[in-house]
Amino acid sequence: MSMRDLAAGVDVGGTFTDCAAIAADGVVLARKVLSTPQDQSIGVVVALEALGRGAGRVERLVHGTTVVTNLLLERTGARVVLCATAGATDLLELRRQERVSLYDLSAQHPAPLVASGDVVAVDERRTVFGVERVLTDAHIGEVVRTALALQPDVVVIALLHAYADDAHERRLVEAFHVTAPDLTVVASTAVLPEIREYERTATAVAEGYARPGVARYLHRLAERLHAAGFPAPAVMTSSGGMRVAADAAQHAASLALSGPAGGVVGAAAVLRAAGINDALTIDIGGTSADAGLILAGEPLVESGGSVAGVPIALPRVLVETVSAGGGSIAWIDEGGALRVGPRSAGARPGPVAFGRGGTEPTVTDAQVVLDRIGSGGWSGGVALDRDAAHAAVARIAARLGATVERTAAAIVRAADAEMARALRRVSVDRGVDPRDCALVGFGGGGPLHACALADALAMRTVLVPPFAGVLSAVGLAIAPARREVAASLLVRASSLDVAAFREACDALVPRIAGRDRRWQLRVRYEGQGHELEVAATPGDSGSTISTRFEEAHRTLYGFTLPREVECVALRHLASDPGARAEFRRDPDEVPFDAHGLVDRGGPASSVPVPGPCAITLPDATLWVADGWTATALAIGGWRLDREPV
Amino acid sequence: MTAPRLDPLELSVWSSLVAMIAEEMGSVLIRGALSPNIRERRDASCALFDVDGRMVAQAAHIPVHLGALPEAVRAVRESRPRAGDVFLLNSPWQGGSHLPDLTMIEAIADEAGALAGYAVVRAHHADVGGMSPGSMPQGATELVQEGLILPPVRLEREGVPDPELLALILANVRTPAERRGDLAAQRAACAVGSRGWRALLREHGAARIATVTAGLLDYAERRAVARLTALEGAEGTAEDALEGDGVSEDDVPLRVALAVRAGALHLDFTGTSPMVRGNVNCPIQVTRAAALFVLRALLPDDVPTNDGIARPIHITVPEDCCVAARAPAAVAAGNVEMSQRITDLLFAALASAGVEVPAQGQGTMNNITFGGAGWTFYETLGGGQGASAKGPGPDAVHVGMSNTRNTPIESLERAYPLVIERYAMRRGSGGAGTHRGGDGVVRAYRVLAHCTVTLLTERRRRAPRGAAGGGDGACGENLLNNVVLPAKCRRELRPGDVIELRTPGGGGWGSPAHQ
Repeated sequence: MSMRDLAAGVDVGGTFTDCAAIAADGVVLARKVLSTPQDQSIGVVVALEALGRGAGRVERLVHGTTVVTNLLLERTGARVVLCATAGATDLLELRRQERVSLYDLSAQHPAPLVASGDVVAVDERRTVFGVERVLTDAHIGEVVRTALALQPDVVVIALLHAYADDAHERRLVEAFHVTAPDLTVVASTAVLPEIREYERTATAVAEGYARPGVARYLHRLAERLHAAGFPAPAVMTSSGGMRVAADAAQHAASLALSGPAGGVVGAAAVLRAAGINDALTIDIGGTSADAGLILAGEPLVESGGSVAGVPIALPRVLVETVSAGGGSIAWIDEGGALRVGPRSAGARPGPVAFGRGGTEPTVTDAQVVLDRIGSGGWSGGVALDRDAAHAAVARIAARLGATVERTAAAIVRAADAEMARALRRVSVDRGVDPRDCALVGFGGGGPLHACALADALAMRTVLVPPFAGVLSAVGLAIAPARREVAASLLVRASSLDVAAFREACDALVPRIAGRDRRWQLRVRYEGQGHELEVAATPGDSGSTISTRFEEAHRTLYGFTLPREVECVALRHLASDPGARAEFRRDPDEVPFDAHGLVDRGGPASSVPVPGPCAITLPDATLWVADGWTATALAIGGWRLDREPV
Repeated sequence: MTAPRLDPLELSVWSSLVAMIAEEMGSVLIRGALSPNIRERRDASCALFDVDGRMVAQAAHIPVHLGALPEAVRAVRESRPRAGDVFLLNSPWQGGSHLPDLTMIEAIADEAGALAGYAVVRAHHADVGGMSPGSMPQGATELVQEGLILPPVRLEREGVPDPELLALILANVRTPAERRGDLAAQRAACAVGSRGWRALLREHGAARIATVTAGLLDYAERRAVARLTALEGAEGTAEDALEGDGVSEDDVPLRVALAVRAGALHLDFTGTSPMVRGNVNCPIQVTRAAALFVLRALLPDDVPTNDGIARPIHITVPEDCCVAARAPAAVAAGNVEMSQRITDLLFAALASAGVEVPAQGQGTMNNITFGGAGWTFYETLGGGQGASAKGPGPDAVHVGMSNTRNTPIESLERAYPLVIERYAMRRGSGGAGTHRGGDGVVRAYRVLAHCTVTLLTERRRRAPRGAAGGGDGACGENLLNNVVLPAKCRRELRPGDVIELRTPGGGGWGSPAHQ
């Protein structure tokens, strides 16, 4: 059949590469293959080919990649020469002056991405009052010669106060283009046109550092896909949109959190299908757990954060990662307390129960002891060695003077406590009450922990999406095409008139394509350091924006101030709708077995299943805790409700 | 033991639960605060106390606040708090540290309206009045010169605000609007703490929470004692000095004798200078904070921060002593500079007792305050950390009792009539060694308006010492238009003047020959 009707998503993780393909009728095909760390693109093609007959039907392909994260972690990016304002050439080494650890006095920050000898001083200076030291043409020539003599792969230009006026940055870019037309040159304001020199410089440097590697990878991927008969790929960005490969290669830093964003986007799609607006999400893997927040059906996007010690102050889907997962190891500290993590048995050797050489008890082993994992309920159909898991937990239990079962339950609770803390951070810190949200649990371990986490946060509804083990790939498959641009807009709301604001908004429109258009303003009280994101429309007046900001401030912090309100930056987003996602259970699959509690994704009745019990899912195990009732969803997956206490 | 013990299976879960509440307080404070000192530099701490005044959890950004908050709660408890009262204090004689640190304490009401605990937020305010803008004066000789003194006073009585008291406070500071904003953020942070604590009490009951609190404190104590037991029998002494008290340039000598006996750390400051005229004196709670920091640095990072760690520390001070100051001594610089020197002193005593510790770091916070018509700006600068057996000393960081962040040049220049001419690494300032000491920084400010500058700095003539044969770090330097200034001074500046600080490097570790 030559019909192309599948929207596919491929998510590359440390151990597995996941693929999900959604047909027009809503049926999802899911595959999991081993990742190929030496070249991720091989695994991507293998995963797509694992769709079998479906492979030829892939019409649209979105990719979630860790290639930027790996470049930053392994420090294998490009040689960057940085041109910075004279007097401020050491910003990357000075960071924000904070030490790594309050009490470990020897702990070092990772080295900057640019060596100190690779920074070229630019004799120019802008202050808040305008240009104080003019950048001369003669000096531009000197800067270009000095920089090129260092034989850079990429040149990054980051000048003080360029967010307010980027004329000097632009003149330097042009000069490099004339002298070295093939050289990649990145201006800080083109990446992040916002105040705060360290974050802007570091983000622009991360862009330059990653760009050549990302371009090479995407080129290789496109070739492999083309050769195998697949369409050209698009890539998920940290902010949950997607860019076609050629465009993505020019925005490398915006891909830094490509993978985790996919999961939250997928969760948001499932939520919308289930008719729920607000949710916290928890994606639990082997070594870590990612907490996210969805408000009014959309993943929360914020600016800021860092990857591998490199600040990247671009918009990103909010994800808070904690070192707690199925592989987290239980141990006893010198104060006699039972502890879990941050050390993890990872995929190799993995939990004791997997029989791959693990000897230390993990969270997964504790779940096995508690009989919460069905034998077929693990990826790759691993046969579980229950006796070995029991023996490993028993060794710790003996030292604590507790029973094996109590110890196992405590191990799970300790991991839950870490994850609950991450969920509270993403919600309470933003003025969101978890009790008003549902919890979406996915990843290999999400369905196992979801009820306990919901209980810890007094949440009453849990959603376990269909294909919980590959939800990130599902998110990729249905991601909307989304682009965004930003501009500095430093102005008091009181002096922002309607026409000027409309003009600022309109100026951004031609820069990106897309059907649905939105504007977001970053606003604060004059003097504050954190901005709030406020929705805006081109016709808004300064006072409308002030009012909206004050409402948001009151919700978040509980107070407002008799102070000027100040706009800092304007963001414009344009999107086209993503693939249609009408999830439904696969009529060709085996129906839900209500006695054996096995769900292979086939038809299921809506008769509620009371806890406590374990339901075996296609790629995970769902633990329905005491006091909870599970109901199969027509879209696949499960909804769980807490009985009123 | 009479009370039921906390199950070791549950310790980490509870520890996480209470730490989370303190973290949430900190997050609300930093996001809501106005002044760069709190929001950018994070010179603030939040803590949660139980009804008996025991610190259950602290989210510390700044070590100097570490062991000092219990004194503040003690002072409030002596003021007969009622549930719903909100106190403000800064008096070093009643729980405060130095006057700019305004400590807000909410007496938490439980659901029945009874007193159930305390939410505490300490933040360094950019001005609290007194003889010089920024309230970090040089040359003050009595506390009353340093700013408005607040014994524990009620900003709210049982939930009802007292606008007249707030007006009185704001009338006595130079930047009332900013203070109002920062206090509002502190209030919001207290509210988060009291809400979280109330929810725990509602869910688990007061008796259970009392058991949990006792268990968490005992646990932290066990971890501290376990470490000290490994050092059993260690004995050492150390001497050091501050480079003048702000009034005179004479050294202020410090001495400590340290001993680890029966799992406890004994510190005897006999031989340390009596109180001095200038303002480098510090109240005993700052000394305790320094001792706690040093012990904390010997412990693994994951030990929870609560009152339990402090139990095995025993401090002896002479009757009249600059590290246990009493009224009416001036103390503004004691919190920032004496605290650093005590830290250096204690590490040196540990080293003399054979405990492996890093070489000395910059040993100062390099306090700089500008004040002009309608504005004040205060910041502190990082420098070199000492190297250790593990590796080189980190560059350009705060060492010891501070960990504030820098102020972005672009934010600073937008807010104040200052231009940063130069902000750079001070290369080669770290001491030589098998492992090099960290480098200090250079920061030059050009002023655009008439103003005063106040410097409170140290290690301008006594260099940070190397260890195990490593070289000393470079001394710091203060310059006005390229002319050297004293370590502690105040100057009137005219537009165009340039103040440049070069901060000390850290000491090296091991002989440079083995590099």
